[in-house]
Formats: sequence, structure tokens, C-alpha cells
Amino acid sequence: MIAAASGLDAPLELRARLADLYAAYDDALGEGDYERWPEFFTEACVYKIISRENYDAGLPLAMLQAESRGMLTDRVAALRKTTLYAPRFVRRLVGSIVLRAIEADSMRLSSSFALFQTMLNEPSEVFLCGRLYDRVADDAGTLRFAERICVTDATLVPTSLIFPI
Amino acid sequence: MAAADGGAVSGLAARHWPAAGPSRVPNWVYTDPDIFAREQERIFEGPSWLYVCLDAEIPNPGDFTRSRLGRREVVAVRGNDGAVRVLLNSCAHRSMQVCGANRGTAKEFICPYHQWTYDLEGKLLGVPFRRGFRGQGGMPEDFRPDEHGLQQLAVASRHGVVFASFNQPNETLEDYLGPTMLGWFDRVFSGRPLKVLGYQRQRLPSNWKLMFENIKDPYHASLLHVFLVTFGLFRLDQQSAIEMDDTGRHCAMISRRGAQETNEATAQMSAFRQDLRLADPRLLEPVREFPGDATVAMQTIWPNLIVQQQSNGLAMRQIVPLDAGNFDLVWTHFGYADDPPEMTERRLRQSNLFGPGGLVSVDDGEAMMLSQVGIAGNEGGECLVEMGGREVANVPHMVTETAIRGFYQHYRAVMGL
Repeated sequence: MIAAASGLDAPLELRARLADLYAAYDDALGEGDYERWPEFFTEACVYKIISRENYDAGLPLAMLQAESRGMLTDRVAALRKTTLYAPRFVRRLVGSIVLRAIEADSMRLSSSFALFQTMLNEPSEVFLCGRLYDRVADDAGTLRFAERICVTDATLVPTSLIFPI
Repeated sequence: MAAADGGAVSGLAARHWPAAGPSRVPNWVYTDPDIFAREQERIFEGPSWLYVCLDAEIPNPGDFTRSRLGRREVVAVRGNDGAVRVLLNSCAHRSMQVCGANRGTAKEFICPYHQWTYDLEGKLLGVPFRRGFRGQGGMPEDFRPDEHGLQQLAVASRHGVVFASFNQPNETLEDYLGPTMLGWFDRVFSGRPLKVLGYQRQRLPSNWKLMFENIKDPYHASLLHVFLVTFGLFRLDQQSAIEMDDTGRHCAMISRRGAQETNEATAQMSAFRQDLRLADPRLLEPVREFPGDATVAMQTIWPNLIVQQQSNGLAMRQIVPLDAGNFDLVWTHFGYADDPPEMTERRLRQSNLFGPGGLVSVDDGEAMMLSQVGIAGNEGGECLVEMGGREVANVPHMVTETAIRGFYQHYRAVMGL
């Protein structure tokens, strides 16, 4: 599942652990179990959903940004306790995960994502798609995201961005 | 459109505003395509100053940015003389879109179709094969390039904010805003150079006027926005005010931040969550940066702009109507060019409250979507706007819908309804 970029000779065991991380993350979000979402990140993580318009122009503004696991926890608390939103499902597909580089303290990976949204009594529609730029670190024996930058191709979000990517 | 279609004329002629006046809004103003067409003609292409962009987006000669004013698309470009011009993004030849990039730098604009070329002032510089080829074809002898430039709009700007009009108002931008609004405007735009932090865009399945009503309605904020209420960012028991210009078309909604505390007002806000605490409080560490004690000043400026100052979160929200049931909301977040890095960081953290994924503004987007659904399924109905009375007046509190009444008082006069 994790394809090594050409020239990068990653051990099979590491690739399997990375594949498990991505699968477990998708499973948690796929089941709507957002309470588990912050656990996939290191304490000092960076998480952003940013449009390609801003990302390519070097403009820092994101649609959602967190600089710690606590900020992710706050997002989930808001989602559960404070946000008004119409019922919907958001389905994620992540593919073509490529291990780009193994660095001293982390690994760089990239992949593509597509999100499909289904509002109550409406057909399923493509909601957002784009690229994921990740940095994964070994956090005391557990692989976690130290950074996940979700870059959306669309400059425009249909109505609201409720759930994390 | 209405004039060419007898049925449509009788359709609009049959529309009558409820006798109660601006304390009632008939649901057809949110759904009727003929109303939408008249809005485009009388409001967006009428004598209004429409927000276009910030100077900071196009600082140097040749810098341009695209913008949409109602259904029309324009390019704002800084000329070699340093002045900003706002040009209709439609070739004088076959009306093709001339500029396809959101922003950039150009020496001239070349229409991709037949390569008609315009300078930064929209003047037509060149027409390929204007004289024909080997004595054949070409444009007629009396063709005058100076009569076929890109349509140029009237432009007015103040302290780094650019406005334009298809039908130049008889009043300056300053008179158009009026002294009350000008005070709030200058509070954020004092002339201090700005820095753009980025853009957010969302497409909302709602009539564009519901966006204005949302920001003219402080009553909802204490009830819908659990996040704002809980963390004391905006609550109707806080010292606050609604200040409008003389026409009622513009408004400033002002509030002072309070603590996370319970009292007799929070008891009526089922939204208030005493149990909620931030795991990482860095999200909300506002610092005072403007004179006076207001911590929130939301300005609604007729007909396409909201200036947001919510603590240190500064943004222009541009309203782009698409049809009666849809509009785009374009957010330009900014700070000041001389902000220290920690202030920029603070603004970016607070931006989590706004935009399509904002901890606060998600509620509004969803509420507008659901309002439109309810309205479309009840076109013969009307909305009741009586909170705080039936009149239009500035008030020193938040338990009111007076600014929505002010908006419709002006809207009816412009629309002839």
C-alpha cells in the first residue's frame, strides 16, 4: 500500500507499519469516530486544510489549522458540542501513498484524497479533492502524524467544511 | 430581462410588500428570479460603491486581481501611473474573458481568442490584421481603436480599500458611507498599510441577502453560536450597540468581550456551556489593538461587503450573488504590514473561527442553507422581523433586529417595492 519513491529502499516492516497507520486513521474517520482522531497525531503536531490558491502563493491562511494535539481535541469538542450542521456523511478515499524521504526524526509521505459528501435525501457528490503532504514520526514506538497538510484543489468549498480530512 | 417579457413584468407588478413595512419580509424576495434580475440592475449595476479588492493585493504597476461585482466580472489593475483601474473582464470584440488568472502581474492584457491587446488602462492597443492581409479583409476604415477599450468603471478608494461602480453614485465614497460608518471604517483602515494573509471561498445555497441579515442580527449570535457564547466572545448581555447610517443600508454591530461567566442572560442561552474548556487556549488569546473598548465591530456595507473585526480576526467578506438561491462568499483575511510575527500568528489562529470551516461561521453557513430551504418551501410566507420593535433606529443593545429593518427600508426604496 505504501509505495516507496524510486531510489528509496524502505524496509518492508516500516512500509507495513505506515500502511497500518493510514488504514487505522481512515477507519476511525470512516466510522465517524472523531474522538480517536487526535490520537493519530504527535503532541506538537501541525494540521492544516489549505486551498491550493493560498498554498501555491505562499499565503499562510488555512481553512482549519492546528498547532497541537490539544487544538485537534478542541475541534472535535466543537464538532460534538457547539457546531450547528445539517446531517451529512463525508466519505474519504486516500490513494497512491508514496514515501518520499526518510529523515532523521520523521518520514515524508504524500498521497491524493477525494471526499464525497452525502446530504440527507440528496445524491452523493464530490465534495473536495487534493493532495496530502504528511510527516510521520516514531512517537515512543507508535507511528503518528507530526504534520498533515491537506491541500485542496478547489479554491471554493461547497457550503461548509464540517469534518476533518 | 423583465421588460422584454410581458409575463415577468406582470409577475413583478403583482408583488406587494406586506402593509406592516420593514418588520415583515416577504419570502419571494429570496426566491423570485425577476427580483434577482432587478437587484442586479438597480443595486449591483446601479449607483452603489461596490467593494473590489485591497490595495495590498496589487501593490506594484501591472499587478492585477480579478473580482466579481454581482454577476459581472472585473479586473482591478494598477497602472504605470500608480492608479488603480477597474476594467470589465470582457473583450470589446467578442466579449471573451480577457484575464483568466485570479491575480498576477501583466504588462498588457491579451484576449486569448483573437489577440486583441489592451494596456493597463484598458485602452485597445492592437488588433491583429486590422488592415487585412494583402489588401483583403481587415476592419472597416472608420474603425477607431479608442472607441473599443475595455469598459472602465468609476473607482473610489479609501485607506487601501478599493471600490468601484458601474453607475457612478452622485456621492463620494465618504458621503456614501456617512459619518457614523466612516468612523468604524477608519478604525480598521486608518491608512496603516495592510498585508493579505490569504483567501477563503465558499458557495452557499442561499439568497445573498441572508448573509447581510445574518451580520445585522445580533439576536441570533447569542443563541446559535455556542462557541462564541461559551467563550465570551459575543453575547447579548455584553455592552453593545447597533449603529446605522442615515439610510439604514450600512450598519456596524459592536460588542465588548466578556468573561466566561454565568448570569441571568446566560440562563436563557441554552447554548452556554459552562463545562467547556479549551485544551489549547492559544486559540483564543486576543489582544486589544484598536482605540476604544469595542472588541467586535462587524460592518455591513451596502451592497456587497462585510468588514469583519472579531478580536484580532480581520477579514473582508465579499458577497457575490449567483442567482436567487446561491451566492459565493469570498473572504480576504488580512493584518497590517508592520504586524510582529506573533500578531500574525494570533490572527491566523483566530481565523479558525471563520471561513467555510470556521468554529463560528459554519453555524451561519448551515443556518443560511436551512433558511433558504424553509423559504423555498414557503414562498407565499413572510419573515417576521419585530425583535426590538418595528422601527429603524440605532440602539445601545443587542436584543434587536432593527438593522435588518434598516436594510429593507433602503432595499424597498431602491427596488421600488
